[in-house]
Amino acid sequence: MIAQVKKSSFFKKGMKIGGTTYTFEIIVKDSQSNPSIAGQVTQQLIQGSGVDIIVTSSAPETTIPVSAVCEGAGIPCVSTVCPWEAWWAGVNSSNSIGAHGNAVGTSPKYCSMFFFGVPEFVECFLPMWDRVQKMTNANHVYAGMFPNDADGNAFRAAWPPTLNAISAATNGPAWTFVDGGAYTDLSTDYTSMIQTFKTGANGKTCDFFVNAPLPPDFNTFWKQASQQNWNPKLATVAKVMLFPADVYALGKLSNNVATDCWFAPNAPYHSSLDGVKASAFAAGYQAQTGQQWVQSMGSTYSLFEVVIEALKHVKNPHDRLAVANAMKHVKYTGMCGPLNFSNPQGPAKGIGTIKPVGIQWKPGSKSLVGGKKYAWSPWVVDNTLNKHIPIQAALEPTNK
Amino acid sequence: MTWVNILVQGVLIGGFYALFACGLSLMFGVMKVINLAHGDMAVVAGYVAVFLAPKWHVPEVWSFLIVVPLFGLLGYVLQRTLLQKSIDRDPFTTLLVTFGLSVIIENLLLAIYSANGQSVNIGSLVSKSFQLSSSTYVSYVALTVLAVAVVVLGALQLFLSRTNTGRVIRAVSDDREAAQLCGANYKHVFGIAAAISFATVALAGISYGVMTQFAPTSGGANLLFAFEAVVIGGIGSLWGTLVGGIALGIAQQYGAHVNPAYQILFGNLLFLVVLAVRPQGLFGRKEAMA
Repeated sequence: MIAQVKKSSFFKKGMKIGGTTYTFEIIVKDSQSNPSIAGQVTQQLIQGSGVDIIVTSSAPETTIPVSAVCEGAGIPCVSTVCPWEAWWAGVNSSNSIGAHGNAVGTSPKYCSMFFFGVPEFVECFLPMWDRVQKMTNANHVYAGMFPNDADGNAFRAAWPPTLNAISAATNGPAWTFVDGGAYTDLSTDYTSMIQTFKTGANGKTCDFFVNAPLPPDFNTFWKQASQQNWNPKLATVAKVMLFPADVYALGKLSNNVATDCWFAPNAPYHSSLDGVKASAFAAGYQAQTGQQWVQSMGSTYSLFEVVIEALKHVKNPHDRLAVANAMKHVKYTGMCGPLNFSNPQGPAKGIGTIKPVGIQWKPGSKSLVGGKKYAWSPWVVDNTLNKHIPIQAALEPTNK
Repeated sequence: MTWVNILVQGVLIGGFYALFACGLSLMFGVMKVINLAHGDMAVVAGYVAVFLAPKWHVPEVWSFLIVVPLFGLLGYVLQRTLLQKSIDRDPFTTLLVTFGLSVIIENLLLAIYSANGQSVNIGSLVSKSFQLSSSTYVSYVALTVLAVAVVVLGALQLFLSRTNTGRVIRAVSDDREAAQLCGANYKHVFGIAAAISFATVALAGISYGVMTQFAPTSGGANLLFAFEAVVIGGIGSLWGTLVGGIALGIAQQYGAHVNPAYQILFGNLLFLVVLAVRPQGLFGRKEAMA
């Protein structure tokens, strides 16, 4: 992925800022998705390598500690792939999330981020629920599998009220929530929870399923759900099944499991660095690495786009506060579509919002990225939130 | 959940815990080694089944046919070299050495296979079950794992009590010096015990890979359950390990029935109660604690 960034002239030849041409050096560190290692390598980058800017991606376990260290050390930082609510409350401990899911407190001084939050998850999943409900005449009862961890507790608190508020705003029905309980991560058995979902509420079984688990826990759960004969009409999962690895590990049980997608190669977007189209970007990644494209490649690429956009508006790239402030005013369209870090309708200053679309995992096809057929591919099945991204396949119930 | 379902599911998952704990129990019983890399060894077995077995044209379902003997050999070699050297120094060294092994294995797996989750693919059988009563379904995979656990533990018990090698292993475990005086080559005996231990953990690792998805760092979580099963059942007793695993499974299922947040907690509580009331475990001998 970094190789694709380095192909652009900004990173190949350098960039003229305030009359001087600066060249870039990119240093890559692995956080192993471990918060303490993430903090350590960030310290190394700041103190050892003397970096000017840090970009970071993928999961709260990495982005929050990296952002927090940058905030403390006064290093401009932009991050992605983390619900903004978790990032907001995690980077600055005096910040919190209000009763209406709003950001309470002040934006971090040096850190910005782009992704989306619980409302977008709801707006992405709910249209799919409504469609499958009409298709199958299913119950308006849904199951929630939320663990006792930061993401899980945030979802449990925010999902039901947000869902019902958004459903009511569009004259939709009230949905009944069945909570699977605050289970411990890496549990080995979910039979009891599955029994709760089968029983459902008011004599009606849970026909819809939403979650925010660790990948191995979803794998265990979904196999056991099938063994225990609980077959929800539609599973819309968060935090898992985003990337092919989880899908291949689950095999056939992956069929028609739906999730969110923030970078789709069939989107009409292109790089703000060198104009490369989203489809060519994904195909190039596959050709270069020999691996199936992953949606995080788009957001990671955009981290570098955001840095360049910010640097266009400063006179001295070493003026850290100026760079950090410029990041909070970035407004451009790139690999992940339009991003506006100072949108008055956004959650807070310094947070850009992507509008995700709904995808389902189905057997792959040669008509997809790079003309290469993979055993499983994500197909865009619902674009309610972002009409620019074309539908690729019909939405189907997960279980008929 | 109904009582029947709690018991059935508890016994099923308990079978897995027992299979996982069996090797740990044996190594502790015979050479007083707590193998902290036990869980990681299971994960390695999973990786061999997923990545290497297909290369040798063995389907993942049948991978145990090569992984189990391979691990037996690995156990023997590792015991005769690294582990024996650390036993010769003092018990604390074995703890450090196996902990070091655990760290090395995790990082090697991470470097070779990345942090992506893997699963042992056995086709559609993984989602199949049969109905016992209106609300109780029995998974074929879980039932198979339970059966394997019972057979393995039963066969081991027979092996230890009926065969010459088994008797020597018990003799060395009871009193190493006395057994040596009678001509037992205790280092070879330790090697055999380690070979058995590793062969069983390979079975456990493959079962784990079928039941869920594993990553380089998945070993630790199961090591705790295995350790609890051994202590609840009683150190040195293989049937005890089976009963310990099942007791742990039932306690967890009951906890989950009360509140899903209590699933792991109830297992840990049972462990603490056994430690407090009967420190030698349900089937352990008092002197084993000395």
